[in-house]
Amino acid sequence: MIIRKIQIDNYLCYYDTNTFELSEGLNIILGENGEGKTKFFESVDWLFNGENRELDMLVSAKKLNETEIGDSFRVRVSMTVEQYGEKSIITKSFLAKKEKANECSTSSFMIEGISENSSGERTQVDGQALLDRIFPFQIRKYSMFKGEAELNIFESDSALANLINLFSEAKHYDKYSEKGAFLREKAEKAVEDSSKLDRKNEALYKKLEGDIIYLEREKAKYLVHLNSTEEEIRKIEGNLQLAESHVSNADALETLNKRIKDIEERISYLTGRIDENYTTSLFDENWILVNFESFHKEFAEKVSAHSKTRRELQSQFDEQKGIIKGEKKAKAELLNNAIPLPNNIPSKAIMEEMLNDEICKVCNREAKKGSDAYEFMMKRLKTYLESQVTEDNKPDKDEPLFKYDYTNRLDNLSISHEDNLKNLRLIRTKIKELFEFNDDRKKDIEELNEQLEKEKTEREKILGNSSIGAEKLSDVLKNYNAWQRDLKNRNQDQVDYTTKLKSLESELKAKKEEKDKIDTSSANSFLIKTRNILRDIETIFIDTKEKKFDEFIEKLQTKSNNFFKTINIDAFTGTIVFTRRNKVNRTIVEVELQEDGRTFYKPNQSLLTSMHISILFAISELASEIKEENFPMIFDAPTSSFGENKTAQFLNLIFETENQKILLIKDFLHTDKATKTLSIKKEFENVRRDKAFWVKLERPFDPNNLKTINSQVITL
Amino acid sequence: MKNLFEKWKTRIPKYSETHKDLFTSLSQKFGAEGEKKINLGKHFSTNYELYTYAFFLGLYNNEFAPIPDGEKKTDFSHHIQHWGSKTTVSTRKDFTNLQENIFIALIAKTDIDLVALEKGELDEDDAVKLLIKTMESYTNGGLILIKEKLEENPNYFLQPTSFLNMILETEKV
Repeated sequence: MIIRKIQIDNYLCYYDTNTFELSEGLNIILGENGEGKTKFFESVDWLFNGENRELDMLVSAKKLNETEIGDSFRVRVSMTVEQYGEKSIITKSFLAKKEKANECSTSSFMIEGISENSSGERTQVDGQALLDRIFPFQIRKYSMFKGEAELNIFESDSALANLINLFSEAKHYDKYSEKGAFLREKAEKAVEDSSKLDRKNEALYKKLEGDIIYLEREKAKYLVHLNSTEEEIRKIEGNLQLAESHVSNADALETLNKRIKDIEERISYLTGRIDENYTTSLFDENWILVNFESFHKEFAEKVSAHSKTRRELQSQFDEQKGIIKGEKKAKAELLNNAIPLPNNIPSKAIMEEMLNDEICKVCNREAKKGSDAYEFMMKRLKTYLESQVTEDNKPDKDEPLFKYDYTNRLDNLSISHEDNLKNLRLIRTKIKELFEFNDDRKKDIEELNEQLEKEKTEREKILGNSSIGAEKLSDVLKNYNAWQRDLKNRNQDQVDYTTKLKSLESELKAKKEEKDKIDTSSANSFLIKTRNILRDIETIFIDTKEKKFDEFIEKLQTKSNNFFKTINIDAFTGTIVFTRRNKVNRTIVEVELQEDGRTFYKPNQSLLTSMHISILFAISELASEIKEENFPMIFDAPTSSFGENKTAQFLNLIFETENQKILLIKDFLHTDKATKTLSIKKEFENVRRDKAFWVKLERPFDPNNLKTINSQVITL
Repeated sequence: MKNLFEKWKTRIPKYSETHKDLFTSLSQKFGAEGEKKINLGKHFSTNYELYTYAFFLGLYNNEFAPIPDGEKKTDFSHHIQHWGSKTTVSTRKDFTNLQENIFIALIAKTDIDLVALEKGELDEDDAVKLLIKTMESYTNGGLILIKEKLEENPNYFLQPTSFLNMILETEKV
């Protein structure tokens, strides 16, 4: 699309009819401050986006002055454009009627559209619709560069996302992902209904559903927390950078900040290592058994005394029962007819070992084969082995003395805990060691805290050495420390929320899997398969949509940075980074300038301007690629913060881009000190351009009297 | 072979309702670990931790104080065998050793006629009842000691070392 002509009638300083016949390429409009450049830009902006209020503020004072009371005239901005060989004229105008001196009433504005086909046939059409068709508003928004004061178009967070949605292929997937979600929901419902038919699952199923809803809600809540925390972090970082920019010795400050962060991290690490859960250790480390030894002894004595009594009684019982004394004797051939140990002591394995080595390892004496001692051991082993066999084979006809054997397990418990006793004796030492360890760590922390205080004092000194006034300084200082503290807390919050989110997600996943499991066991398998397919399809749509969106962002980023590097050739730039952020129910795209992956919050005006212009170029280029059409770009005073070198780069760049450009600048004008006459500098001849205009106020004029103001348009 | 320990640990020991407020203020039913425990201002993660603690405290101080007949008894419906069960909390350690040691102390301190038991003249359930009674008596004694400490100084347990110290101090006894 090309703007062929712009005509401005009685719009502020543009008295009567003023025409700009524009070329396809670069159009430069020169003009001193206050001589009509910005009013030109605003009139076009009014045509595109103007609202129906305070129209009397747009009326040419000179025209109003010349008009008789009761008479009217038209204020009009009109644009002739060409698109695909078709000519269209869009006119926005209103009627101004002079009521008394310096006062007028206005009608509402009207937008007229005239469409002219290639054969010259003209038809009246809806002006607004025509405008939106040939120059879509999303593109219009990024085609107008309103000067450095109003660069906020990138700060409206969803505008860029809307633009990308319009351009990228992502938009094609919108309808599919909606449909996908609809179908998946239907399928989920069908499976759920089918599962619910199974009565026994009903309660559990309901509980799971409740849990899932609750978890989803929690997740959304934490997502909001996380988002706002991240926003806060960015804000605080920005504030800190701004404060730091006042500081003379920025490098030293950075080093100090790094050191402070280091110390703080070490303190938090050490604090984490101090284990003061003494009450928990009473149980987990068995510290509570510290004084238990005597009780164990009491128990062991009691059990062994009982064991002895038991065997004694058994022995007597056996005797009375008339069991062959000789056999029993063999089992109990001990001196003084002492009560024998239980059969299983020492154990079979140990007896075999001692027999094999021919040593009694209990009394540490030799027991050579054939000796009494050896035979004694052999007999005991045999008795034990027999006792294991006979018990089952030979059911006692008679009632035994002891119906139950509790002793064996008590014995075992006593033996197994015997080994534990040495651990119990160590507990006191362990407790002492832990106390010492903790005390040492506390001392370390104390030292680190002292160091931290010192570093902070040092930081205050550096901050004190800054370029701002003393009374303002104390504010900055106070805020600086508070911001640092806030930043630390918010960073911790960020970590906490992220962890919480992760755990919620895994919990949610587990619940969903559990629910799916019920489905699998109770719902119709055809329904489940259908649901699974639809789930996959929805995922594919959503993923593809996001991928396409990201691809476009990537492209926009690459292009923007190319332009950015060209404008700022041989100078520091940093990198323009676009980030997609998914908010709870919308997607936004944020732009920021980064340096080594670190956000650069307060770039200077010239850098900021060139960044925005670069993005506009990139958008325009992408629009051309995708719509297979070029759109015009209009820049009002874009280079006022640029140096000469950068301005030259910019003009070259702008000349070489393919689309139509209208550039309003105040460079290349010269005012003669003596005569106050304006002229165009010779250098302008070397500026590559396709067409140039000069807007200047008709001389003489009274700067205090609007009625004398009239911008003339001179085509150069 | 019979096992008294196995039988004993299926039981739920009781405590006097007069100590109910101790359980509500010092421990957490259903368990609370780490931050949750601190946030709730509790010292013991679970009721059975406080119970176990009170038992050993009573034992070490020889505070055998049977719950008087007139006092109502209550419990926290948690079988001994599930105390410190690994399945509920993964960050904590198993309580089996502590359970066995409690049992050892109970056998040592309870007058059970083991001969009669093995002869079948004393019912196993009655023997276990005796063990539980000993357990409840020492615990009751321990709880009384904790209560006295609190009455002396309501802030006593704000120190992380308080409960540990009460156990360590009993060495002299």
